Amino acid sequence: MNVNNLNRNPLIELKNISKVYLVGEEQVFALRDINLTIYPNEYVAIMGPSGSGKSTLMNIIGCLDTPTTGEYILKGINIRELDDNDLASIRNKEIGFVFQMFNLLPRANALKNVELPLIYAGINKSERIERAKKALISVGLEDRLTHKPNELSGGQRQKVAIARALVTNPSLILADEPTGNLDSKSGEDIMRLFHQIWKEGNTIILVTHEREIAMNAQRIIRLRDGRIESDELNPQKVVFESVEE
Amino acid sequence: MKLLAELSEGIRISLDSIWTNKLRSFLATLGVVIGISFVVLMGWAISGLDNALQDSINLIGEDMLYIDKWDWSGGKKWDELRNRKNITYQQFKQFSSDFNSAEVIVPGITNWGATVKTNNVNFTGVSIYGTSADFARLPTGNIELGRFFTSFEELRNLRVAVIGSKVARSLFPEQNPLGKYLKIEGQDFMVIGVVKKQGTMLMDFIDDRIYIPIGSFFNLYGGKLDRSLSIGIKVGSRERLDEVREEARGIMRSIRNLKPWQEDDFSINETKIFEEIVSTFRLYVWGIGIGMTVLAFIVGMIGIMNIMFVSVAERTKEIGIRKSVGANNRSILLQFLMEAATLCLVGAFTSIVICSILVFLVATFLPKFIPETGFLQPFLPFEFVLYASLVAILVGLISGLMPAYRASRVDPIESLRYE
Repeated sequence: MNVNNLNRNPLIELKNISKVYLVGEEQVFALRDINLTIYPNEYVAIMGPSGSGKSTLMNIIGCLDTPTTGEYILKGINIRELDDNDLASIRNKEIGFVFQMFNLLPRANALKNVELPLIYAGINKSERIERAKKALISVGLEDRLTHKPNELSGGQRQKVAIARALVTNPSLILADEPTGNLDSKSGEDIMRLFHQIWKEGNTIILVTHEREIAMNAQRIIRLRDGRIESDELNPQKVVFESVEE
Repeated sequence: MKLLAELSEGIRISLDSIWTNKLRSFLATLGVVIGISFVVLMGWAISGLDNALQDSINLIGEDMLYIDKWDWSGGKKWDELRNRKNITYQQFKQFSSDFNSAEVIVPGITNWGATVKTNNVNFTGVSIYGTSADFARLPTGNIELGRFFTSFEELRNLRVAVIGSKVARSLFPEQNPLGKYLKIEGQDFMVIGVVKKQGTMLMDFIDDRIYIPIGSFFNLYGGKLDRSLSIGIKVGSRERLDEVREEARGIMRSIRNLKPWQEDDFSINETKIFEEIVSTFRLYVWGIGIGMTVLAFIVGMIGIMNIMFVSVAERTKEIGIRKSVGANNRSILLQFLMEAATLCLVGAFTSIVICSILVFLVATFLPKFIPETGFLQPFLPFEFVLYASLVAILVGLISGLMPAYRASRVDPIESLRYE
């Protein structure tokens, strides 16, 4: 799509991905024949109404789920060939999740929450603390390190979650309706943070059903009934190409 | 390194979760606490018993043989033993002149349940023990106060007495018994020594004894008493025990005029028999204890397993979060196994604390009411604290296995949606 990407290796390649669920005797296609390539440092929004398959797609891209058919290649690794433990390791190294419900551990403070992925990466304690602090500072929470989630506002919780996603320096930040549980002001705040993270060179995939939120991205993919309906560059972000809305 | 980080994280989570659910954790570990307490208390009782046994054996000496009409092992029929001819003083004399391969040979003849008197005290239940001056050379002849009688006194059949510590305490409370007189069968005996207090569980009858020269014993009871002598042989070393036993047996058979086809009409007893008695007793304790322990542990394991299933269900979301940031199945399995093990270990700890207090109180105060329990020690044997902890960890691992496995199989997508 983007001319800038032509000479680079793709970060993600989905080839003819389908996901089929069995509901009783009936086969339900959550995804049909998805082909998608995403390059490093892209900022992609995946849009679609509920039931369009965007959650399934996100789970597959996030290596939480595996496709029924088709190939998924992440940084040259064929995900379909991996077992549960390898998938866990890929999630740990390559992917940072940001969820609508924040999904922080309620009894652990902000620092502990951000440390969590580093524990499973086997990083020693002093380095863990140092990196977790740095991540929290980068999202502007330097004065909230020892606060527990219930002592933080919604926007602050989501920032902790973002810090947790960033702390392993993943190849991909995967955000699922990150503003869905926030008031509009906190939502704008979080979107500004994503923009900044993208500018720093990260790749972001944003799953949302809100057009306004999706307009923050550089490229917008629309799903309907498990298929890609459209895959376009966002004219507000990309000035060199004119794309119809 | 990775494992270490996960383990320390696991312990932290476990303690945190136990602390958050204090009452629930306490109730869940109750079965384990009871089970561990059984094991620890049994171990404590048995180790006390073993120590008492060792004391008794040390007291008698591991190298002692006793030729006796009676068999200590209790393996023979009582009426058969009763029909054996008594071992007489003449036979003892004969034996000690024929038999040269022992350090010490002493005769012993006992009148149980005798009564002795001083001017103002009657003391019943005393054993009058006639023996030779050589008795002083046995470990049981250790003197606390005064001296044992000499061979001169023995040959002259003098009326001198060496008394057990309990006898001394009862007849001469807070007095020096030396030089005092006591009456046996109406005859005055002068106290010349007090035997060291023995007081171990198996041998405390020694404290009730009065030793007198064997000739004086015969003068005292004469023909009235139909008693068999026992011949004590101090071999000198445990290694020579078998050799000396066979030699003694041969000599004794010839003294007793036994034909080659006749069975021995005497027994040669040794301290090993105490070990057998105690090991039977120990078996009883274990038998009862193991049954109760197994029961308690089964109940305990069900408790732990149950609470772990609850814990897994409650923390489905947490499992999802951990998996999404890179925890693999093994990490989750490990986390919940450790939680179960930690729970049990905390139970073991509780139980050890409770038992320590209990044991201290029992060992301190019970012997004041029941002197036979004096062998109990006021502390838990260290190895049982160790075993208890290991058993607790094992119980935790076993009962945590199923819940932990279920936790590890939690589907991250489902669990993240879980509210």
